[in-house]
Amino acid sequence: MRTHQNLIDQCRIYAVWSLRVVVSGISLISVSALATPYVPRSDSIVLERLATKPGDAGRTSPSNRVMHALLAREPKNVDLAVRVAQLYITRSRSESDPRLLGQAQAALGAWWAQDEPPVPVLLLRATIRQSNHDFKNARLDLEQAVRREPGNAQAWLTLATVQQVTGDLSSAADSCNKLLPLVPRLVSTTCAAGVDGMRGQAAKAYDALSKTIIEVANDRGATVGVRIWALTLQAELAERLARPADAERLYRASLMLDPSDTYTVAAFADFLVDAGRAGEVLALIPATTRADILLLRRAVAAKLMVTADSAQLAQELGQRFAASSARGDRVHLREEARFALIIKNAPDEALSLARDNWAVQKEPLDARIALEAAVAARQPKAAREVLEWLDSTKLQGGKLSQLAILARAL
Amino acid sequence: MIRRALIRFVSIALWSVLALSIAPLAHAHKASDSYLTLSVDGAKITGQWDIALRDLDLVLELDRNGDAVIDWGEVRSRQTEIAAYALRSLELKSDEKVCPLAVMSHLIDSHTDGAYAVMKLSAVCPGQVGALTVNYRLLFDVDAQHRGLLKLESLAQGGTDSTKTMSAVFPVENATQTFALAGSGAGTLTQLGTYIADGIKHIAIGFDHILFLVALLLPAVLVREAGRWLPVADMRTAFWSVLKIVTAFTIAHSITLSLAVLNVVSLPSRLVESLIAASVLVTALDNLWSFLPRKRWLVAFAFGLVHGFGFASVLADLNLPNSSLLLSLLGFNLGVEVGQIVLVSILIPLAYLTRNTRAYLRIALQTGSVVIAAISLGWLLERSLKLQLMPF
Repeated sequence: MRTHQNLIDQCRIYAVWSLRVVVSGISLISVSALATPYVPRSDSIVLERLATKPGDAGRTSPSNRVMHALLAREPKNVDLAVRVAQLYITRSRSESDPRLLGQAQAALGAWWAQDEPPVPVLLLRATIRQSNHDFKNARLDLEQAVRREPGNAQAWLTLATVQQVTGDLSSAADSCNKLLPLVPRLVSTTCAAGVDGMRGQAAKAYDALSKTIIEVANDRGATVGVRIWALTLQAELAERLARPADAERLYRASLMLDPSDTYTVAAFADFLVDAGRAGEVLALIPATTRADILLLRRAVAAKLMVTADSAQLAQELGQRFAASSARGDRVHLREEARFALIIKNAPDEALSLARDNWAVQKEPLDARIALEAAVAARQPKAAREVLEWLDSTKLQGGKLSQLAILARAL
Repeated sequence: MIRRALIRFVSIALWSVLALSIAPLAHAHKASDSYLTLSVDGAKITGQWDIALRDLDLVLELDRNGDAVIDWGEVRSRQTEIAAYALRSLELKSDEKVCPLAVMSHLIDSHTDGAYAVMKLSAVCPGQVGALTVNYRLLFDVDAQHRGLLKLESLAQGGTDSTKTMSAVFPVENATQTFALAGSGAGTLTQLGTYIADGIKHIAIGFDHILFLVALLLPAVLVREAGRWLPVADMRTAFWSVLKIVTAFTIAHSITLSLAVLNVVSLPSRLVESLIAASVLVTALDNLWSFLPRKRWLVAFAFGLVHGFGFASVLADLNLPNSSLLLSLLGFNLGVEVGQIVLVSILIPLAYLTRNTRAYLRIALQTGSVVIAAISLGWLLERSLKLQLMPF
């Protein structure tokens, strides 16, 4: 019987993949069919802007060029390669530009395929793999890193992240524990609060964060980046604890520190839409954003507010997902599932994407879209796995709890 | 949540960099892709290649004046370099022969993530393109996640076939791919013909297979009685004996050839090549001192299994596209059979006619077997010990 089920599963996976190949073939064709090449009328016509921030020369900045040239001359200089890769990864995050991840990987080319590269390379490889949602190999890299350097705080922190994202909460808690003697207190507290918040202890995590944030107010160890992380997490916990006023206050405090932090902007936009304040999202996220996860929020808000550009936004977002699936990317499944459900109104497609996503990552947002899609597609079976997970982790939360009730009633 | 903050933690710990406000710009960010469209019409290929300007800037520094903006002047004045860089990164081959590429014109286009340089391509292959091999290596050295997205079209020839469109993705791990084209009405047949020819060629130049068959068939016109070789009485006996041997060998090597090509079984080629040499040696020695089973077709079957793996490695070297795997398997196998039949039809009549002579026994069977044994022993040593002994 079990083998029988396995066989059916295999057939299903095969069928889904064949379909996917066909779909990506079609989308590839449609992506290239957009083409209407032309010859610009004059030399002064601007074709491309390389800078993503005012006053920033982007990768054309002289210091970047120099580093790049140095590395080209000495591709096996590990210190140089690590510095260049780190620079690219940081820029990739702050500019939401995945191209820079590929360049970071190329900078590490001499060590990329090694089983046991130097630990700094191992950490960067894990970070790049994690960004590509290759959590399995990222975790193997990080486990090796902490085995070789048990005092490496960055390795433990990244490991905790990968474990938490993939739903291995008890291992994540252990990794956070390992940080205690190694990092400023706000870092270890926030690490643990993130995990506790997903294990039915949101209130305890919230209080721990409030207390620590106040205590370290003048602490030099609490850098801006860590404060943003802590504040946004606290805001999310407040949301799950049904304390919307606190959530809004904390989101705004976090955005004060960095108004362009993509993660915080996205989380705050979700908060606003849930609160029936989609109009404010239109002011928060410009229609011209480069980040797909932000454009999705803008498009959702535009649809709810029935704005003039909502159809155009939906079309643009659709093209972006088509372009990424044409190259075989499976990184934005969560966003694509929400796009399919909310914007395209295609519950079955959304459910299939959400389930693929659930197989890879298990954060509250992943549970939420999986349940929403299962409810919309009226597929109680599809919801079962997520519901069981919610039961076992005791993950609580306003929207998620309501959805769970709906899903159980299917 | 942790993910974002975590990276920020790295960046702040290392450089104390603070992210500034991102000024909104019109395009999405996405990983790097180029869009390559190729259209094959007989021996002629035309195409279009769209490469992102920001990617070209990475290698060619298009933004010469450093104002973080690329204008048409900066692209137009560098067209020769752009074309040279692009053509260095792409190779098209039709049936192992290079199809030289040229850039015909330069244009600009927009994709979801910005402006792209568009090059119109043209290539002429030495003959009608049956299978097109594309070697793509653009940007891989500077962006390991870059991918080439190919749309390949083969135009109908002679109106019997419809135009066929395929798509493929080239990541750094899969930079060379081969595509079987529908093309002409005889497209599939032409391809089948190519594979049959490959099979025949392999038998014709594969001395080890020829010598194995010769060693196996030399005694087919004789019978062994009480340790002595006697000529067979009639044509019928010889014919059936040969037929059984050849059929057993064919069935056996077809089995292992298919298993290996379909990736069910795979053996290291050094082992396979050594075993093939050993099979020739053993068969030749058996002609001198009988120790193998009396039923020659059993020997042919057992060793045929080994030779099938050898054929498979030849097929693998041809770098076949998955789409035409079965066709190539069939064609190659047919070619091997044709080669065998030719060999048998030359060897056996001669052997049959001379079977009664002392010369056949002494020169053909005994001396022949000694020579074959010596050669195969050389191969065996060479292949198993990785030496360079033999002239062929």
